[in-house]
Amino acid sequence: RFRFCGDLDCPDWVLAEISTLAKISSVKLKLICAQVLRDLLGGSMEYEKILKLTSDAKLESGDVKATIAVLGFILSSAAKHGVDSESLSSELQQLGLPKEHASGLCRSYEEKQSSLQDSLRAASLRLSRLGSVCWRVDYTLSSSELQEVHEPLVHLTLTVQDEQRGSTEAVPMAVSADKFRVLLAELKQAQALMNTL
Amino acid sequence: MLLVLSEAQRGDLGCLQRAGAAAVGELGRLAVELLRRGAAPRACEAAARKLNIDVDTIQHGIEGLTYLLTESSKLMISETDFQDSIHVLGFSDELNKLLLQLYLDNRKEIRRVLGELAPKLPSYHNLEWRLDVQLASRSLRQQIKPAVTIKLHLNENDDQTAHVLQTDPSTLLHLIQQLEQALGEMKTNHCRRIVRNMK
Repeated sequence: RFRFCGDLDCPDWVLAEISTLAKISSVKLKLICAQVLRDLLGGSMEYEKILKLTSDAKLESGDVKATIAVLGFILSSAAKHGVDSESLSSELQQLGLPKEHASGLCRSYEEKQSSLQDSLRAASLRLSRLGSVCWRVDYTLSSSELQEVHEPLVHLTLTVQDEQRGSTEAVPMAVSADKFRVLLAELKQAQALMNTL
Repeated sequence: MLLVLSEAQRGDLGCLQRAGAAAVGELGRLAVELLRRGAAPRACEAAARKLNIDVDTIQHGIEGLTYLLTESSKLMISETDFQDSIHVLGFSDELNKLLLQLYLDNRKEIRRVLGELAPKLPSYHNLEWRLDVQLASRSLRQQIKPAVTIKLHLNENDDQTAHVLQTDPSTLLHLIQQLEQALGEMKTNHCRRIVRNMK
């Protein structure tokens, strides 16, 4: 039972690859961690650099990919379950990772832990997103039904990003003054509730 | 089980006798390529030029061979049945042996390709979830209503679809319980007996 695995057993493939990690020197492992963290945070990983760093340990290409996968799993899973770097270090040592390797890994993890959690938070399931709100206030003078209308009218266009289809949709609407007052009041109440949380 | 070849197919394959053993080897290779990757008209023309036979005969020959190979592989007929089936074509022994070898060599791969042609139900790709708590709505304040939102990603014939579902925790627990029961069925004696017999 490991905290960084979410209080579940450590997956077999992770256990198997810990010995591969031990083959790389602890200094090089820290640099590989930095590359993996860049990839997890949305940047680009420089695969050639990782290949150079692992060349001393004489790892095959399958082992290099396994190393990247295992590091990615350990770092993102630890961030997911909010494990602090001390506990992560001791749990990795329990799995058989040498002390210097574990402490190097956990130092890299500690530096980037909150950024990792922020990026994971942003990647969480989201059904749709409000893009922007555009508005315009008109004043209706007269219409075919009534000669003297003299009513204000609000035109709203909400831009909604649909996460399901990955498309942006514009929702236009015309709101009369009374309806708009109700809408605004309700939204202000919702905002007040959100601020109290 | 014997393969029954229609008149047209016998005609197609009849050209093989005239073409000779080397040609049959070449046509066999083209037939297998056709099954692997689809039609290659330029390869047929090249073969026609090399073997000095006209393109139509080559095409018919390849079609006949393809039918012979797929039907034999589909039905997984034994060597003797295959030999008996092509005996009716009246080929020389050498040609018969060549065809049999062609069948045996490519049987496994052809069966693999045929297996992929079966219609497939949508399959699981990924699951994203989110746990929310509804605290208030326009009609009612001071609520506590937990809900789990799930996005199920499925693979449907190389198309990715996503289904959004929402449930409350008790339904989710019931769902988990049902799925665990389904998995548990594999451990019953009945299922174990069937699995043992399939192996």
